[in-house]
Amino acid sequence: MSRLDRTRTSAHQLRPFFSSQNLLNRADGSAQFDFGESSVMCSVIGPAEVKLRDEKLDKATLEVVVRPLVGLPGIKDKAREQAIRETLEPLVLSGLHPRTGIQIVVQTMKDDGSILATAFNATILALLDAGIPLKSILGAVTCIVDSETNQILLDPTTQELANAKSTHTFVFDNKSSITSSPENKDQEEAVEVATLYSDSTGLFSEEEYFECAQICYKAVQAVHGFIRTAVQKKLEKEQQQIHS
Amino acid sequence: MASITTEEESKLLIVLPGDQLPESGLMEDSSAAHRLTLGPGLAPMDDDSITAVKAGILKHNAVGNRWWVESNQRRYVAAQGESIIGVVTGKSAEHYKVDIGASQPALLGVLAFEGATKRNKPNHNIGDLLYCRVSMANKDMEAELECMNPTTGKADGYGELKGGFVIKISLGLARRLLDPKNLVLRLLGQHIPFEMAVGTNGKVWVNSASAQHTILICNAIRNSEYLNSAECGAMVKSLVEKM
Repeated sequence: MSRLDRTRTSAHQLRPFFSSQNLLNRADGSAQFDFGESSVMCSVIGPAEVKLRDEKLDKATLEVVVRPLVGLPGIKDKAREQAIRETLEPLVLSGLHPRTGIQIVVQTMKDDGSILATAFNATILALLDAGIPLKSILGAVTCIVDSETNQILLDPTTQELANAKSTHTFVFDNKSSITSSPENKDQEEAVEVATLYSDSTGLFSEEEYFECAQICYKAVQAVHGFIRTAVQKKLEKEQQQIHS
Repeated sequence: MASITTEEESKLLIVLPGDQLPESGLMEDSSAAHRLTLGPGLAPMDDDSITAVKAGILKHNAVGNRWWVESNQRRYVAAQGESIIGVVTGKSAEHYKVDIGASQPALLGVLAFEGATKRNKPNHNIGDLLYCRVSMANKDMEAELECMNPTTGKADGYGELKGGFVIKISLGLARRLLDPKNLVLRLLGQHIPFEMAVGTNGKVWVNSASAQHTILICNAIRNSEYLNSAECGAMVKSLVEKM
């Protein structure tokens, strides 16, 4: 099977990952994450001072700003802001920094599909770089159901998105996993437990949805592995003077 | 889920948020059995497991069975007992307000100086640079500072820093600069005489005979963060030669 994206041969193949942490000089944490030609940069400032009206007495206030590739932020960007904020709120241990604010700015650098998933991955890398305490990390992947072949394609490009019958973005954490709960024989239910966020548009059946979740779950393991390697490389570089 | 094994001490043991520490490994070589001290980067979770909350290197000290995660960040979060460098941003009858790079300015009592009394107290102005100690840090309150050793009441080097230059670096690099064996400082010391104060809040004050030397030292410290020993030596050498 050949995909519209000629660099890939399989429907369940992700585009090559790229990431870079600590790129911005004046932010407390920053990162860039790429899925092939899709690229998102994220900066984190905090725990910092917060406006009095946004101050929460028992936890940190999370503010997410999503900036589009060109032009002014629109409704779509506001929806993404909300998606990212609501996914991160239970993940960030905000009780450790009461009466402070954590500002997250997400800027699309290059758009070739799967931007929301790319943005999630960039955000978690930036939060790790900033040293914000987190319950766990997350990983995100997008997939589509092709309108002609009814096949599930992972990590679609803009071209492939145009042919999509439905689009699904899934976010999973690194704590709950299908294999770690052997008593949970029903795999579909296990995937549901582990999902931090899921966003679907278009027409799809229940079976298609769970199949997408299953496939994305497997793909996210590769993203988690990549994030771990990226952090490891950075730490080794920092520590090489002491441990050489 | 990545489970952690603690067999190799020499290898860097890197943890990410969500990695659980195995209960068996935590208690291994502790003589004071069943006592465990958790440092920064580790937290007990709702399900009674001990989980990393920051990305970093898992460290262990057998004395007191202490475990912590050595991580790097740029934003300071005040912790009691740490020496920091701050800038006076405000002044009232009883307190100076000091910017220490944390989420809120810290408070420094006007009497928290060596030998200060109500009649005779040091006078600092807005913009002055102070080297102080965090005497109280609490997540719900502003941090409190002092410019003396609380046990002896002596200044112990704390106080105003005059002249010189301040740079901001990452907290991890600041901690590494405090290591007496730190390579870049040792190399710089072979070429240039200088004095410095390192605040664990990532602020470093450097003073030397000329501005040229001060700038060189600041640049060398900044450059050293991601270099290995050989590269660090070459970097200092090239900077000194160019001068």
